Amino acid sequence: MKEVLAIIRMNKMNETKRALADAGVSSLTARKVVGRGKGKVDYLLLQGAEEGYDEAIQQLGPGPKLIPKRMINMVVPDAKVDLVVKTIIKVNKTGSPGDGKIFVEPIMDAIRVRTGEAGDAAIVEEDAVLAK
Amino acid sequence: MIMVRAIVRPEKIDEVLSALMYAGFPAVTKMDVFGRGKQRGMKIGEITYDELPKELIFTVVKDEDKDFVTETIVKAARTGSKGAFGDGKIFISPVEEAYTISSGQKQL
Repeated sequence: MKEVLAIIRMNKMNETKRALADAGVSSLTARKVVGRGKGKVDYLLLQGAEEGYDEAIQQLGPGPKLIPKRMINMVVPDAKVDLVVKTIIKVNKTGSPGDGKIFVEPIMDAIRVRTGEAGDAAIVEEDAVLAK
Repeated sequence: MIMVRAIVRPEKIDEVLSALMYAGFPAVTKMDVFGRGKQRGMKIGEITYDELPKELIFTVVKDEDKDFVTETIVKAARTGSKGAFGDGKIFISPVEEAYTISSGQKQL
């Protein structure tokens, strides 16, 4: 099994959740994080600098500017990794920097607390339970 | 690729972030966490605090940058010359694939 860790824009959260549920992978953990990427991320500051404000230009240095993002953690079976990655990319892609990143990491084991079952059985979603 | 997760003191987070920026690793994600270490928290007088506030930062880098990044974080996050309890931990785990959403490509 694999962990898919996606960092996406705040306002894309609802669309992403809906798309993932439609794709049949609904279990996820989400939280709010702040971060920065490769480039200059403070667009207000960039805009100010382009318009020629001295204050904005002075702040353009290498100081850290962190912007809020949403982080999604999902643990899925190997076979569903591609589906999840493609779904997240499809919903979140706007083409401009700041859309986010997706990381795929190996997970050694998973255990369902309710029943104690381990391995892939612990992360299989039970459609029958959902239907009720 | 590897993921470097570091838990550092909240008052040291600015130093760590600017050290990473100057070292050429601007891309990081940060979140607030609470936790305790093997000293079982902190005891001040009668009161024991076992959920101490910390900052968790994580960044994904190429395999060959691992030592440089960890050294940079350790150097910036340590307090005093020898360090002290509560300065934090660094964990390193493998990452198999990384995608950039804006381009849809499989690269960091």
